[in-house]
Amino acid sequence: MDHRHALFYWPDPYDVSGTEELFLAAVRENCLYESAHCPAYRRILADFGVKPEDLRRPEDLGRLPFLPTAFLKTHRLFSMPRWRMPILATSSGTSGKASEIGFDAGSLLNGLQMVLRVAAPRGLVSPQPCHYIVFGFRPHPSNRTAVAKTAFGYTCLTPAVSRTFALKRRDGRYVPDLDGVIRAILAQERSPFPTRFIGFPAYTYFTLERMRERGLRVRLPRGSKVMLGGGWKQFYREAVDKTALYRLIEDRWGIGEDEVIESYGAAEHPILYCDCPRHHFHVPVYSRVLIRDVHTLKPLPPGEVGLVNLITPMVRATPILSVMTDDLGVLHPADSCGCGIRSPYLEILGRVGMKNVQTCAAGAAELLTGAAGSPSPII
Amino acid sequence: MILYQGELFPTEKQPELLSALEAHVNRTLAARPLSRETVVRAADALGARIAEGLFDDLLRRFAPGEEEKHKAAALPVMRREALEYRIRTELGDGPEAWDAAPPYGPERIRTERRPLGTLFHIAAGNVDGLPAFSVLEGLLTGNVNILKLPQADSGLTIEILRELIRLEPSLAEYIYVFDTPSSDAAGMRKMAALADGIVLWGGEEATRAVRALAPTGARLIEWGHRLGFAYISGYADREAELAALAAHVAETKQLLCSSCQTIYLDTDDPRAPHDFCREFLPILSDAVRSRPSADPGDAAQAALRAYCLRLEHAAGSRRGGRTVYAGDGCSLTVCPDRRLELSDMYGNLLVKALPVPYLLPVLRRAKGTLQTAALIAAPEKRRQLTELLLRAGVQRVMKAGDMSLSFCGEAHDGTYPLRQYTRFVHVEL
Repeated sequence: MDHRHALFYWPDPYDVSGTEELFLAAVRENCLYESAHCPAYRRILADFGVKPEDLRRPEDLGRLPFLPTAFLKTHRLFSMPRWRMPILATSSGTSGKASEIGFDAGSLLNGLQMVLRVAAPRGLVSPQPCHYIVFGFRPHPSNRTAVAKTAFGYTCLTPAVSRTFALKRRDGRYVPDLDGVIRAILAQERSPFPTRFIGFPAYTYFTLERMRERGLRVRLPRGSKVMLGGGWKQFYREAVDKTALYRLIEDRWGIGEDEVIESYGAAEHPILYCDCPRHHFHVPVYSRVLIRDVHTLKPLPPGEVGLVNLITPMVRATPILSVMTDDLGVLHPADSCGCGIRSPYLEILGRVGMKNVQTCAAGAAELLTGAAGSPSPII
Repeated sequence: MILYQGELFPTEKQPELLSALEAHVNRTLAARPLSRETVVRAADALGARIAEGLFDDLLRRFAPGEEEKHKAAALPVMRREALEYRIRTELGDGPEAWDAAPPYGPERIRTERRPLGTLFHIAAGNVDGLPAFSVLEGLLTGNVNILKLPQADSGLTIEILRELIRLEPSLAEYIYVFDTPSSDAAGMRKMAALADGIVLWGGEEATRAVRALAPTGARLIEWGHRLGFAYISGYADREAELAALAAHVAETKQLLCSSCQTIYLDTDDPRAPHDFCREFLPILSDAVRSRPSADPGDAAQAALRAYCLRLEHAAGSRRGGRTVYAGDGCSLTVCPDRRLELSDMYGNLLVKALPVPYLLPVLRRAKGTLQTAALIAAPEKRRQLTELLLRAGVQRVMKAGDMSLSFCGEAHDGTYPLRQYTRFVHVEL
């Protein structure tokens, strides 16, 4: 029985309590597969003394060895040959290194179901044609980042009248072209079709700021939306609080807060988290969240702040069933939101490792490679 | 954020400001030189304010939970007494200028110590506030300073320098701070083009790039790029020395040049490193546990590093023959080789056997990166081992817990920074 398939076709994407058994069965199945096909993962399971069949109760998910994103960035783990992976995606690698995640055909088909189910409640799937302004990269053979792929994927949720990309490829590098974006925005004010903005909040914010500096203001057609995702990346210093951003969007583009939709996800945990009308990330059935203590890495009770550990049985090609992000967050009970969705929601509070300190000692290590062989002793 | 002639500007203004920089710097160089007393007075006043707690809020904002540590670190580098001692030690007691009639002529020649001119500082991010101290050294020697902030800078540097300028407005035209990323080659090249000396705090990706963009003839002054280690050959007081070493590791998280990365044991018994780990791991665990990081991000990084080490070991992706002893938020890894290498830091140390006859030969292979060694030894061996370490190229031989201790008038990587930031000129009279 393909439990993964059953889970991804579950009618209500937020029926977390109703899918408890099914989720466990799917993780067990996934764990068994990885253990059979990925020797390194099998050795890790053995070292932690965990067998797939041990995963019986929801709390057993915490016993599953998790793979930190930092680990995935330095280790390529695959459970099937390359030809069975239609997509090989890399994380955006803000700090230089990127992880490489393989996607099997089954995971992509299931992923499509997920996107349609999660995006529908926010009115993202529609036959109404739209202009798309993507604050990201235009997909290019040399750019395999998951961000570029998902951003492009979002432009397929409705028929696209036009696609404008904020990051242009010039001399083999990506450079932001915010002025080009502003020209497109000004033109689209008079279009019969609504505009959708997609991508990094930082570039969205910079564009809005530039429009404000120049005194430019548009009222985009009804149905226009802003989809934010991908985090603040290297612009964490300018991170503005969300309400200020919503106000700026309303002020400069005439798009109300209800039409601003934020998503959360990562190449290493390709589950689409879409915020509810109150801007909370409720956990969809395809995913479970454990918050772990920053000192001991042990699971914490709900409501406490810690590292965000994400679990999903979506992918087979790479053993990413339990992944530790660099995010600090907290899991809130469903009823503290009040939007009506019955699953708990995840609040991301920040990122660890953003200090990205390369120490002088680390620099020295780079210089030390090359001296081969062992010197002889002085007797 | 950019600090330019005492005023703050947003990062986007960089191209505009950079194009005016040369003219501004030239105007300053052409005018009256900066007096050392002015700098000492301003730094001392700033040091006094920090000590009085006027900056506690600021320090709390930038480095929560570490205010006292930063205050304690700032004092010996900012107060008049310290600065004057430093100037005397580094530049000597003699006059700054003197006339002489050298043998074989000419008849009279004047020799003077002068600033290099303009220093371009490329700072590292592993110590909060360090970029500001680098600029202070440049000011003490009378230079115009252009500082490129490290990516990880918390904003503290600009605040410190702004306050310094507030106390002594004439310093404004000697301080330019840019937050340009190292990848901005055009911006970096413009700054470097104005420099007589480039002060490079190693460890950033900038290192490689800087050599390429330094103008011909500019003096390259490189700091950093060092690996610390401990050498153990018997004990004077076993318990106290091991506890001190563990405390050092927990306190510095092994992030400093002087931090311990590898522990060498004077033994050729392959079982000895394992016995050592079993003894030292509980001591290290206690030290790490009793100093929990105030910053959850730091704590998480430390915990994840130790965890990743275990994963790598389990997955079999680590180099062969290594054994990991995992503690709470720390680990010890026994390695069969002798190479001096970087550990995974954050409480994760390497343990290697290195009998005395191999000590110098092994360290010579790492000669460019040697700086601090902690020597733990039986009292009768201490002198001989110290001598051997110095001959191998080590710059500082310290006691177990003092690896990262710094003090007034300390040489940096074997040389005095203030000397590096000045030049001698001659004028025929």
